[in-house]
Amino acid sequence: MKLWIPFAAAAGVFVGAAIIFGADWDLPPVDTDQIGYRGSGMYHTLDREDQAALKLANVAPEPPYEADPEGDRAKDVYENVQVLGDLSDDQFTQFMASITEWVAPVQGCAYCHNEENLASDEVYTKVVARRMIQMTQHVNEDWQAHVAQTGVTCYTCHQGQPVPANVWARNLVPGEKGTGLGWSGGQNIVNKAAGNTSLPSNALESYLLEDKPIRVHSLTALPNGENPNTTKETESTWALMMHMSESLGVNCMTCHNSRAFNDWDQSPPQRVTAWHGIRMARDINQSFMTGLAPVFPDNRKGPEGDVLKVGCATCHNGVQKPLYGVSMLQDYVDSLGSKTNTDVPDFTTYKPGETTTMSPAKTTSLEPAIGAGEGATALASAD
Amino acid sequence: MQYQNIFTQVQVRGPVEAGIPLPRGDDERVGTPFYNWLAGWFGNAQIGPVYLGFLGTASLISGTIWFVIVGFNMLASVGWDPVQFIRQLFWLALEPPPAKYGLSIVPPLNEGGWYIISSVFLLAAVLLWWARIYVRARALGLGTHVFWAFGAAIWLFLVLGLFRPILMGNWAEAVPYGIFPHLDWTAAFSIRYGNLYYNPFHCLSIVFLYGSVLLFAMHGATILAVTRYGGERELEQITDRGTASERAALFWRWTMGFNATMESVHRWAWWFAVLTPITGGIGILLTGTVVDNWYLWGMKHGIVAPLPDLWPTVVDPAIGS
Amino acid sequence: MALLSFERKYRVRGGTLIGGDLFDFWVGPFYVGFFGLTAAFFAVVGTALILYGAALGPTWNIWRISIAPPDLSYGLGLAPLKDGGLWQIITICAIGAFVSWALREVEICRKLGIGYHVPFAFGVAIFAYVTLVVIRPVLLGAWGHGFPYGIFSHLDWVSNVGYQYLHFHYNPAHMLAVSLFFTTTLALSLHGGLILSAANPGGDGSLRNKQDVVKTPEYEDTFFRDIIGYSVGTLGIHRLGLVLALNAGFWSAVCIVISGPLWNKGWPQWWNWWLDLPIWS
Repeated sequence: MKLWIPFAAAAGVFVGAAIIFGADWDLPPVDTDQIGYRGSGMYHTLDREDQAALKLANVAPEPPYEADPEGDRAKDVYENVQVLGDLSDDQFTQFMASITEWVAPVQGCAYCHNEENLASDEVYTKVVARRMIQMTQHVNEDWQAHVAQTGVTCYTCHQGQPVPANVWARNLVPGEKGTGLGWSGGQNIVNKAAGNTSLPSNALESYLLEDKPIRVHSLTALPNGENPNTTKETESTWALMMHMSESLGVNCMTCHNSRAFNDWDQSPPQRVTAWHGIRMARDINQSFMTGLAPVFPDNRKGPEGDVLKVGCATCHNGVQKPLYGVSMLQDYVDSLGSKTNTDVPDFTTYKPGETTTMSPAKTTSLEPAIGAGEGATALASAD
Repeated sequence: MQYQNIFTQVQVRGPVEAGIPLPRGDDERVGTPFYNWLAGWFGNAQIGPVYLGFLGTASLISGTIWFVIVGFNMLASVGWDPVQFIRQLFWLALEPPPAKYGLSIVPPLNEGGWYIISSVFLLAAVLLWWARIYVRARALGLGTHVFWAFGAAIWLFLVLGLFRPILMGNWAEAVPYGIFPHLDWTAAFSIRYGNLYYNPFHCLSIVFLYGSVLLFAMHGATILAVTRYGGERELEQITDRGTASERAALFWRWTMGFNATMESVHRWAWWFAVLTPITGGIGILLTGTVVDNWYLWGMKHGIVAPLPDLWPTVVDPAIGS
Repeated sequence: MALLSFERKYRVRGGTLIGGDLFDFWVGPFYVGFFGLTAAFFAVVGTALILYGAALGPTWNIWRISIAPPDLSYGLGLAPLKDGGLWQIITICAIGAFVSWALREVEICRKLGIGYHVPFAFGVAIFAYVTLVVIRPVLLGAWGHGFPYGIFSHLDWVSNVGYQYLHFHYNPAHMLAVSLFFTTTLALSLHGGLILSAANPGGDGSLRNKQDVVKTPEYEDTFFRDIIGYSVGTLGIHRLGLVLALNAGFWSAVCIVISGPLWNKGWPQWWNWWLDLPIWS
């Protein structure tokens, strides 16, 4: 008879089953946070099973043992200790044990060290690790507007993996590479970085590496010719906001009353923390990640050859406070709590397997970009 | 439970209807009419014939060209991978040119040029179809109410894709041709212009949209309820009121103190449906051109509901930094 | 005034569900019945409470008045009147009035000997309302999930609840419901336009362009077959319109009741089932 009928019925059954069993449905009961005034709809509903799984996945490990802060300094005991030299021998050894558990528990010491000569910088990961320790110190000292006294350690991002699970790199849309046809304005394709929408694919690069203005609203009811932003810029900003929400497992209500997204007077305080977080991520990518480009081998770079960069998910890993606000830093204040040596070597001179000492260039020093604002393009709060 | 006439239980199969004879000079109708059991279960069982004519043919060709341009651009945007084309189909779109090209009608082909070309064909298809509705109605000696109703929808379409981009000074303001991308655009449009819910013409358009659905539910249900008295024969009931009309009218009179007539209910229907895109189009046209932030417009005119200040300590960190 | 020319013979006794002949009378054009009384009772009490709530609030501006539901901390319990209790009683009154109205429509249908399509259709609308203020709040465990009663405050609620799920346009049931709203309106304009154009055909195109004769349903069918190759017919269009309209309301209710009870992430993430189908690799 008509062959299409069984085919259509089979396809219908297949798709229906996929929707019912394939989609990640939740079931009541749920927990709800009330964020805004009653009846405003500023709530956040949370599925209990999902929350339980997140709690299991984000547990802060205890330090291996209590370290004695007294005794000889590490820089006097070992060679080529550039950043952590002021720790005691015991603290230094404890930190090395910890960082191995945090970053390379499977690979062990050899992941960063030539085990014949632990002081040598010939393994590139050791050079990267030193720079990352400087970064962690910088974040803990200069970005307390975002990380507060809780602070961060290597584990906040790495969680037992050499490369943190949630990093990003430049992602060109296939249509951007061709000629003739297929141009899609850098959007209109599945964008995992923007929570599965078809919003602009390059938003993280625009805002977390470059400093494209995020604010798109006009502060007057009627046009005054001063706001050049269109729906397209709004879509880009939204892509960033999707990334932030998905990274923290929160929703728009955590920081905004959507009836007036831009109005600070109606915004919960988390929006201020998030504002500093955007600038912190930008600072990290600009000051630390991109500079390491000559050191990383090709297999540790993105498909377009740029270094892997941090976003909000890199630390947050799906929860609003990384590791549920447990401060691992309290056990590592001496090593990671404040900046020590901030000198930056010339990474272009690095030759893996040959460079034994990646010596700091004494002339350059790190200029932390604290609270780098949006400068002249910043738009003030709507009142 | 009484017989509620939800489905047609006995389908009559006579000779198919050829349709009212057309005026001289018109083409022949196309296709051999046939019966479909499933269609007859719900409405008329007869499918076809159709009148194509010049306008219909030209409209279909134009529309197909638009469709093919959009489709091939989508296919190219996933690197000509047919599997990804299907998988990501809802995410793909043909995007209007970037703002830097302003109102140029010849932006680079692969940077919005295809969008302009395809839009010309889409516009032609819509306008040809519009003309066809007029001509077909007059060929049968009918009024032109459907033509004018379609015109209201075309107004909204033209506001979105032609009038507003011209007023704003660039084609980037137009809507991308894609499933999710046009939904992204709609929502981002509301955010950029400070919450479209505070746009009074958006309010009106929603009222007419919901009102239309309410009206069709009321009208459809009323007529079905009196089909046992022949109420679905509305034209006969308009010209020669029967008990179906009377009962339908009295139902609403007794329920809410007011009733339409068999003819006037269709005037209510036509106006509600037609005002939906008319008011919606006005709301879109004013956005960005006359009003830049609808929430602040609402504040200015005292329509925003007051909320207690829960977070008095929050200030914009960009101030003073 | 109160009676149409043909109305007298339809005003017969009987058809009531409750109360026998006791409430079987008309006031002006309105039929009363037992449910007319209950509807009036609930409507008066509810309206009075809304006015009381407005008097407690900071404004008498009709656009700004808002009666908000309780804080989530009250869960599914009762809240003090001024902290959302008013909203709870008004909600009870609203449901009472709506259901009374529907049952009164049933009585009128019985009186007139017509089908029950209108009260059924109204029942779908009531279902959508009850979904918003009862079913979903109960599933989420707090009355605070209901929407506030205010003209613009309820739009703020709609906006915020949408953004709870990051991008509500990706909610498949919302997509379906919006499509049905637009389709119903399109169908209504086509139906209204078609009937008007057949009943008001305009000039006949002759030299004097006299008023043409009113057309028959054969013309309606021919017009739509000429245009799109199919005419659903005089009976079918009313079935189609009713089915489209009721589905618009039904899927609207579905799209909100799944948001929270069955889905707590961003709606764009829902589409992973499609992106991860095993057929792509």
